[in-house]
Amino acid sequence: MAERTGESPKRRFVSTTVEVEGRTEERVVEVPAFEPTPWDRDAKLTHVGARAPRVDALLKSTGRPGYTTDLQRARLAHVAFVRAPVARGRLTQIDWADVRAHPDVLDVLLHADVPARTRLFSPDITYVGQPLAAVCASTREAAERAVRAVGLRIDPLPHAVTVEAALHAEAVRPGLTNNLMQGAPRVRARGDVDRGLAEAAVTVTREVRTPCVLHSALEPHAAVAEWEGERLTVWESTQGIYRVRDNLAKALGIPLTDVRVICEAMGGGFGAKNYAGAHTYAAALFARRLGRPVSCVIDRGGEQVDTGNRPSSWQRITLGATRDGRLTAIVLDATVPLGIGGWEGGPGEIFHELYACPNVRTHETFAFVNTAAMAAFRAPGHAEGAVGLEIAMNALAKALGMDPLLLRERNIATHDQKKDRPYTGNRLAECYREGARRIGWASREQQRAQAQRATPHRRRGFGVAAQVWSTGGGPPSYATVRLNTDGSADVLTGSQDLGTGTRTILAQVAAEALGHALARVRAVIGDTASGPYAGNSWGSMTVASLAPAVRMAAEDARRALLEAAAGLLAVTPDALETRDGRVCVRDTDRSMTFGEVTAKLGNVMIQGHGSRGPNPKDVGIVTTGAQFAEVDVDIETGVVKVLRVVAVHDAGRIVNPTLAESQLEGGILQGLGFALFEERRLDARLGLPLNVGLHDYKIPTIADLPRIDGHFLDGADPQANHVGARGIAEPAIIPTAPAIAGAVADALGVEVNELPLTPWRVLAALSS
Amino acid sequence: MLPPLVQLTVNGRPLAVAAPADATLLNLLRDTLALTGTKRACDRGECGACTVLRDGRPIYACLTLAHACTGHEIRSIESLGSADAPHALQSAFAAEDAAQCGFCTPGQLMAAAALLATNPDPSEDEVIAAMSGNLCRCGTYPKIVRAVRRAAATLRHADPAGPERAHG
Repeated sequence: MAERTGESPKRRFVSTTVEVEGRTEERVVEVPAFEPTPWDRDAKLTHVGARAPRVDALLKSTGRPGYTTDLQRARLAHVAFVRAPVARGRLTQIDWADVRAHPDVLDVLLHADVPARTRLFSPDITYVGQPLAAVCASTREAAERAVRAVGLRIDPLPHAVTVEAALHAEAVRPGLTNNLMQGAPRVRARGDVDRGLAEAAVTVTREVRTPCVLHSALEPHAAVAEWEGERLTVWESTQGIYRVRDNLAKALGIPLTDVRVICEAMGGGFGAKNYAGAHTYAAALFARRLGRPVSCVIDRGGEQVDTGNRPSSWQRITLGATRDGRLTAIVLDATVPLGIGGWEGGPGEIFHELYACPNVRTHETFAFVNTAAMAAFRAPGHAEGAVGLEIAMNALAKALGMDPLLLRERNIATHDQKKDRPYTGNRLAECYREGARRIGWASREQQRAQAQRATPHRRRGFGVAAQVWSTGGGPPSYATVRLNTDGSADVLTGSQDLGTGTRTILAQVAAEALGHALARVRAVIGDTASGPYAGNSWGSMTVASLAPAVRMAAEDARRALLEAAAGLLAVTPDALETRDGRVCVRDTDRSMTFGEVTAKLGNVMIQGHGSRGPNPKDVGIVTTGAQFAEVDVDIETGVVKVLRVVAVHDAGRIVNPTLAESQLEGGILQGLGFALFEERRLDARLGLPLNVGLHDYKIPTIADLPRIDGHFLDGADPQANHVGARGIAEPAIIPTAPAIAGAVADALGVEVNELPLTPWRVLAALSS
Repeated sequence: MLPPLVQLTVNGRPLAVAAPADATLLNLLRDTLALTGTKRACDRGECGACTVLRDGRPIYACLTLAHACTGHEIRSIESLGSADAPHALQSAFAAEDAAQCGFCTPGQLMAAAALLATNPDPSEDEVIAAMSGNLCRCGTYPKIVRAVRRAAATLRHADPAGPERAHG
């Protein structure tokens, strides 16, 4: 046994904390062999920070970037689901006789035919839209026709679709003893809210409701499965190829090495495409039984009913403050109907984070009900909680006779109050100032007066809201960078591009670290067979998690390249630098292109390995920002028109401003839909979703487009990770709806505290 | 009995294609002709992802029976241009970052092509009116407006006989 001598050896595996969708996870991680020097805010960078065009933009404009739903295979068969028409009951019989006899129908799957771990096709019906069986046919239309011809016998059971009903009902699904998540409400507190309220000079209380909203990605959930012997390949429209691979191997009881998952391009996820689903398992099972490739694409009705949602919320908020507007107490009581499954991504979290306050208490009741399960949807919990918190802040400002912006500026959280630790940075004060300047906050009364003189039946209003969201990302994430014999470079990692621009950003980071031309670097992603592990594209984590791994891999490859070039140029490696695809001898005009070096090496491979190191200890990493909205409300029709949204966020280093602005615009437009139009309506008696298409369920159209002025503060966060970047996708949606709600209340002089702000709610508020 | 034939022109090629009476133009393009650039997103006339041109006018392929296209000329995204030789609209969409996930993009482009064929200099409001039947969930609308107007300007300043003319 070797004796320890001198310094203790560096530990290779350590634990670190990572925040995902508002949840903190403890993880074991591998410490990278080396950590590149952080790119601080003054680092001179060529590709990182540039407005590089999206690498696959032209391909997307041809319609052929490789979506799962477009995949062509010989003898491809198609699946459709038989879905439950009632909210609760027991399926006692399926009448298949006519269906099975049809020549186009190839196979059917029932509960007894599937592995238990898929949890498919239970005869215990627990919500409308639950898959009860599947049909596979030679065409999609034949499968859909077959499903319509199936007869179902169901013994109905009483159901509960509201929190109130669920609390008094028997268990809404087998395996539950009561309908509360974790058996009890989630209560979290710091300080003493009773004392805080007693100290307050002013208190306000508001009740706020937010709707259940649907992701509504244009590409539905889809999988194509194909077996070669024991080996399964699945093409899936997903946010996590590695997670789908893991889910499939476990459910089917086969080794991971026998499962390959591919996502070349996907048509939107927004949180709903994080796991393998019924469609994935059905495609894989039918493909094995039939010995031919099978596609399962969820139809639009199924997509809107049973692929996840942002659950509705009821919130009662009480705020207390001193006369000069310092918060002394924040109290939330909330209920959330999760659906038949889900997790506690509730509105409470942001109440502990956004504003400085010593006394905070949130009490959240999460109930299982007989509707389809919720799923993460862009800033789950925070988007809902921000509506309640910010409406209450506006009410408090009014009660204090204070500018709502000033009230917010007085209560900026300068540190991470949940964990009593500093932030790596929080420039929310600058976001407020810059946003106020851009919208003309100080002159809003003049703007209002001028507008209302021109159109007397309309009312102009302005609102402001803020945002905080953990965006540090974290390990594990791995990448390989290899130089090909012609000098071009491949970045290999098992990530996927949802439309956020991951492919482009990873190529920019690798080109920067290699000193290469961007056009000569390609990110090869979306295939578990070629890329090492990268996590799901969720939680606004991808850039902060993966860019450091890619940078390290590129620097590792660059080191090897310099060592090879040093011999060829008869100098030492430290005399060399790389620029625009050339290895140059410093202070001379001698150089070689990467391709000249690699050509000399033949098939000796230059490749670098990179991994994401642990997060810094005892520090919080967040993106913050403020959004301002200007609205016009027609007081005769109740129609709200959003004229302008100004968004200013602090997200550390922005790798590509154009792509970042696209993310902001996406979040703002989804937030606008949440504020004004979107709501899944249920028939209260039957638990039946009523608006399951994109006509009755209204997402914003181009005609609803406001002027959007999206802006990021210039900077970098080298303490968060050595690339200096944090996340942006979810922060973008959080303040939009509350800023619009604030602007509508400002326009009308009365509050409308239930979203969406439909014409009838506006008119009802005006007449009250 | 064999299904009846639809006789139509697709992207300049005269074709006779067997299609059942209830087949849609979307079935014909995607499932029979393997022209998958035209997307199936709702299959019920709600989103515009399947927009193609029939005799130059934008239509939803999912709401159009294949047999209603007999004697007509259909143009799909495949006829607009390629990544190597893009139409001015495709170049403008790329330059303005008007595609995020890209799934609605072919339909957006065909609706825009129809607009520019009849209105070479559309205002912002005219772009919005012409494109309001095409949904996008990623939030590309601001950039679509800019891209369509950018392409219009390019086409107005290009040689009218040049390769980048709008389809009429």
